[in-house]
Amino acid sequence: MRALTDEEMKTVLDKLANYMSDLKSLISPLEDGDRYVFRLNHSRVYYVKLSIANLATSISRDALLSLGTCLGKLTRTGKFRLHITALPILAQGARHKIWIKENGAQPFLYGSNVVKAHVGRWSEDCPEHQGCVVYSMADIPLGFGVTARSTTEARRLDPTGVVCFRQSDCGEYLRDEDTLFAG
Amino acid sequence: MAPTRTIKNKHSAKSSSSSSSGPKRSSKDGVKKPSFGGSKSGPKGGAPKGKIPTKEQKGKPNFGQDKKKKARVYTEKELGIPELNMITPVGVTKPKGKKKGKVFVDDRESMSTILAIVQAEKEGQIESKLIKARQMEEIREARKAEAEKKEQERKAKLDETKELMRKKRKRGDEKKKKGEEDEEDRIVKDAVATGTKAAKAKGGKKRVSFAADAE
Repeated sequence: MRALTDEEMKTVLDKLANYMSDLKSLISPLEDGDRYVFRLNHSRVYYVKLSIANLATSISRDALLSLGTCLGKLTRTGKFRLHITALPILAQGARHKIWIKENGAQPFLYGSNVVKAHVGRWSEDCPEHQGCVVYSMADIPLGFGVTARSTTEARRLDPTGVVCFRQSDCGEYLRDEDTLFAG
Repeated sequence: MAPTRTIKNKHSAKSSSSSSSGPKRSSKDGVKKPSFGGSKSGPKGGAPKGKIPTKEQKGKPNFGQDKKKKARVYTEKELGIPELNMITPVGVTKPKGKKKGKVFVDDRESMSTILAIVQAEKEGQIESKLIKARQMEEIREARKAEAEKKEQERKAKLDETKELMRKKRKRGDEKKKKGEEDEEDRIVKDAVATGTKAAKAKGGKKRVSFAADAE
């Protein structure tokens, strides 16, 4: 386990900035004097309290399975891929949101894109190809994706038109159970 | 090679040099063996040689030998000569004078500076996207308005022509009606005046035309 390098940190934050509007809250100091840090182990990036990260130094790299919240994986090409485990953090400071109706929740959780007919409401002024967090109508985050159309264009779209391309959904906890935390 | 025990004593050296079997003996001595392979394993046989130059500094060939040895020490790497026909991956080449290994970002200050840079970049990108989208939307709206205007104009023109046609038709009908009435009146008057002659006249006309065809 190690801290991120300059470039790694930039790629991770760049990806997070697609979905979140306020990144500073991520590293702001907590009330008890502790703060959150980013750590890398087995090419996975973890978002963890500094005190816990310091405790984890006593565990060898191979033996350390996970710590804190896994944000995603750094690929071999140097890109960063967000995992569904990062959803609680993304949902806290989401820049753009889409709420989907009950009839659209199941198709989304099974891995399909969001169609216009399933959208309950969406945040205004959302451009094309911008990261957004998908919520149920009861404000429960279900996953995240990338907008297929801007808000104004999406209004003119027919009901079967795709509004948001799925990136990750809560169904992955079951579907990718084997590879999500190790491997 | 010159360095032998005999050099220490001039007389013995002379005797050794004078005697033809001298060098063979010296070579047989176990201690002096390394002096023969001195050219190859120079640094190993340094101990006996080190003593020799103090007395035999005048001898020029020794200096020449030392220089040769030094020249052998240099390798291509030491000289910094680039190797030919070799592909060095980008990751492998390391800049000279830089610290080895990765530079980690763990302190809050550096993290927050990176964060600020990234956020500013992203904000700019999103803003430009939004502006672009708005501009495109405006253009689309303008085009739509123009198309609607054209459509309306076309419709208005069509209506106008339709009205004109209707009016023309109305006028034509009125004229027709008037004309028909006049003709009827005339026929009635003729009939009253000539009796059944009108029919006869019609038949006569036919006959004439028939006769003309026959001819």
